[in-house]
Amino acid sequence: MSTAEFEEVAMMESDLISARKQAPSELRAENVSVWFGKRKVLENVNIDFPKNTVTALIGPSGCGKSTFIRTLNRLHELIPSAALAGSVLYEGKDIYSSDVDPVHIRLQIGMVFQKPNPFPSMTIRGNVLSGLKLSGMKRDNHDDIVEHTLTAAGLWTEVKERLNHAAGDLSGGQQQRLVIARALAVQPSVLLMDEPCSALDPASTLKIEETIRQLSKEVTIVIVTHNMQQAVRVADNTAFFLAQEGEPGHIVEQGLTTDIFGQPQDQRTLDYVNGRFG
Amino acid sequence: MSTITYQAPLDPEGMVQTPQRPWRHKPRSFTMAVALAVVIPAVISAALFFFSPIPGAIVLTVIYFPLQLVASGIAAWATRGVRGIADSIIIVNAIGSTVFSVVVLLSLLGSLVVRGLRALSPHFIYQNSVFINPSTPLEYGGIGHALVGTILIVAIASLIAVPIGIATAVYITEVRGKAVPYVRFFVQAMSGVPSVVAGLFILTIAVSTGWFSQNALAGGLAYAILMLPTVARTAEEVLKLIPDELRTGALALGSTRARTVMRVVLPAAKTGIITAILLGIARVIGETAPLLLAAGNNDGTVINPFGQAIASIPVYIFNNVAVPYPDAVARAWGAALALMILIAVLFTLARVLGRGRVGRAK
Amino acid sequence: MFSRLVTGAAFTSLIVLAGIAIFLGVQAVSAFQTQGLDFIFSTGWDINTDPPTAGIWGMLYGSVLLAVIGLVIAVPVALMLSIFMVFIAPRKLSSVLTNLIDLLAAIPSVIIGLWAFYILNPPAEQWQQLLNQYLGWIPIFQNTSQNFSGTPFIAGLVLAIMMIPIITSISREVLSRTPPDLVNAAEALGCSLWTMLRYVALPYGRGGIVGGVMLGLGRALGETIAVFFVLKLTFETNWYHIIESGGGSIATLIVSRFGEVSGPEELNLLLAAGFFLFLGTIGVNIVANLIVNRTGRLQK
Repeated sequence: MSTAEFEEVAMMESDLISARKQAPSELRAENVSVWFGKRKVLENVNIDFPKNTVTALIGPSGCGKSTFIRTLNRLHELIPSAALAGSVLYEGKDIYSSDVDPVHIRLQIGMVFQKPNPFPSMTIRGNVLSGLKLSGMKRDNHDDIVEHTLTAAGLWTEVKERLNHAAGDLSGGQQQRLVIARALAVQPSVLLMDEPCSALDPASTLKIEETIRQLSKEVTIVIVTHNMQQAVRVADNTAFFLAQEGEPGHIVEQGLTTDIFGQPQDQRTLDYVNGRFG
Repeated sequence: MSTITYQAPLDPEGMVQTPQRPWRHKPRSFTMAVALAVVIPAVISAALFFFSPIPGAIVLTVIYFPLQLVASGIAAWATRGVRGIADSIIIVNAIGSTVFSVVVLLSLLGSLVVRGLRALSPHFIYQNSVFINPSTPLEYGGIGHALVGTILIVAIASLIAVPIGIATAVYITEVRGKAVPYVRFFVQAMSGVPSVVAGLFILTIAVSTGWFSQNALAGGLAYAILMLPTVARTAEEVLKLIPDELRTGALALGSTRARTVMRVVLPAAKTGIITAILLGIARVIGETAPLLLAAGNNDGTVINPFGQAIASIPVYIFNNVAVPYPDAVARAWGAALALMILIAVLFTLARVLGRGRVGRAK
Repeated sequence: MFSRLVTGAAFTSLIVLAGIAIFLGVQAVSAFQTQGLDFIFSTGWDINTDPPTAGIWGMLYGSVLLAVIGLVIAVPVALMLSIFMVFIAPRKLSSVLTNLIDLLAAIPSVIIGLWAFYILNPPAEQWQQLLNQYLGWIPIFQNTSQNFSGTPFIAGLVLAIMMIPIITSISREVLSRTPPDLVNAAEALGCSLWTMLRYVALPYGRGGIVGGVMLGLGRALGETIAVFFVLKLTFETNWYHIIESGGGSIATLIVSRFGEVSGPEELNLLLAAGFFLFLGTIGVNIVANLIVNRTGRLQK
């Protein structure tokens, strides 16, 4: 590639960046590429997550969205064959630098998984407080934390009478909100959500989306979703990931959600958001 | 703009990116702390072990182990804070337990090889022990009679346990009758019968009916009791792996259930079934107590399964252990080594045939 | 015809179990007729009286004592070993260890006995001497005879070595099936190895581990030959002096008396003793399997 071509690409990128919602950046991925063993699954991902915004990552299955958000709080490295290049900056500092404690990062950057996964051996209350126990974090007023986080997750009124029941008694949607409360109890400033509604019914999905909108006043949220309507409903910014046959995934286009869905620049984005593939 | 095609991967300097594992780069302070935590207790303990009169066992338990715990704890606390201390205790104990188990195993195998090789020689394998006393030198006598006895007894046990075990597995996976859970339950319970009780049971039948005395048949029956659960459970796992399409396909072609099982399912599971048989044999071949009770012992070679008492390798070892003659004890080690090699071969064959799909020694 | 044959074969295990219970049970009944309840609750074995008098309490108790000593050693080691294999060791090392542990499980008890008699015994006697020297004020480490061979401690240690692979292979299996979902959740909440074990993996695997421990216990209660070589069989009950020479084991009693059995009356007593051994081991085994099976179902 010649220098001229390189500059062209760089300029295109700076165009996109300027199109994003203006806010101080909290979390930022620079040239992130990801491998499993020899296989490269993600390539040169550059994306910015401004403070207290919701960013949706959309794209067909297998394009590396979920893999990508696992690199953002150092869960990626738990897979034995995992490798990575580039850097992830949290508050300006590379979270992969050797003097950073991954535990500290995971507490600052919380995660909600695709399948509701409360700890079955614990009560509802125990689940909310489990992050404190697991990480050894000291916080006072456990009752307040339970009430506050469950309220923030939109679950308080439903469970306040049975905090000491087993978490498994809750419905799938309730479990997912419990898991959100659990993630909030350690006071993260970023919350990563990996298709949090894909296992839920529409009513529960709406409740969670409402929760996400509420939370975004205080936390930066990154949400992976298959549901484009959901991206439109909750996200300020959207990034479209795509992996062509046999090639690693990358970001095709990113920007304000309204732009991505309203006037996409790339033909493939247009096709995808209009439901022509994926 | 709308036709941005796939670009070669470049980072800002125009270099191709290579996969990194930054999480493996530990800060130097961490490496130092771990190294110190490993070296300091080891050096202090080694010094005490070599240059002080304190017995080794005391050095290991009272000095090295606590010292190692404290050193690791300090290193963990310095690098990871308070929460690292509990982890360091677990890691030290986990490594300690692993080392303990591996040392025991190596001591077992090592002593078998070192002490067993002294007795092992061609004639040791094929000669019998007629005219052999505990004090006879190693140039004479061997385990030939015991080997013949073990083979005969195992063959009888296999003739009984293998068909019944496979039939049990067929009942569970193919016939799928109402009693499947109960059959499984009884097979599991049967695997809990202590080997000495299996021997006693056969002995009781012999004593109370008078049908037979201590011989290869009785020994084989006792072994069959121990072998059956292993064969049945492994064969069940194997048959479960046979795809259902094979069965429905044969049935759709008008085959009866019996023919389907005999002509389609079992042949398809052939190597797996052989694995089950090998594991069953390996499970019983070293059992001593049932043969002491049911098969007895003999210094000569016995071929007749319904005749007199018969020798076997485990009983041969048993009789040569606590004997005050070094050559007899050397025979015990030699026979033990031969037995262990036999078992290792059986397991290896089973693993290779089963290709790791089934069969763990339980 | 075919399915009747197969069904018949499938019930062989039931028939054998029932056969053992009946045949040995009959012997136990006739032992009770000559010995009364003293057969269980007294100690002693005298073949010179007519009929011989026998009480197996010391043997029954001894079997349990040896198994408890074995468990005290084997459970922590096996649990830590399986934690090492599942959560700490690199995958290759862990698969090598799996094979080694399977190999340990495959070594026949007569070989373990041979090894224990010649290789383990000398240092173990020294260890016990040291235990007595420094911790002799604790009642269980008392030894008045200064004879440290054939003690319950050595027998228990040998049983521990035989239980470790059984307990390890089951708890390794159970721990490795901790749902990745839960482990991920714990990691995302900043767990350490200890907190993950304490709050996620161990509560999850508890049932299976308990079942594995009980399977090991069943094996220990029924173990005969290895104990034969390292335990000095005495009929007086050794209640808790674990480093004092002499102890009891019901399975070993059978083999050691059988070689020189004096006549049908004594044989009857041995068979009756075998009945109680059968009841104990089968009972433990059935409970263990129920626990393992139940947790197996929960995990699916």
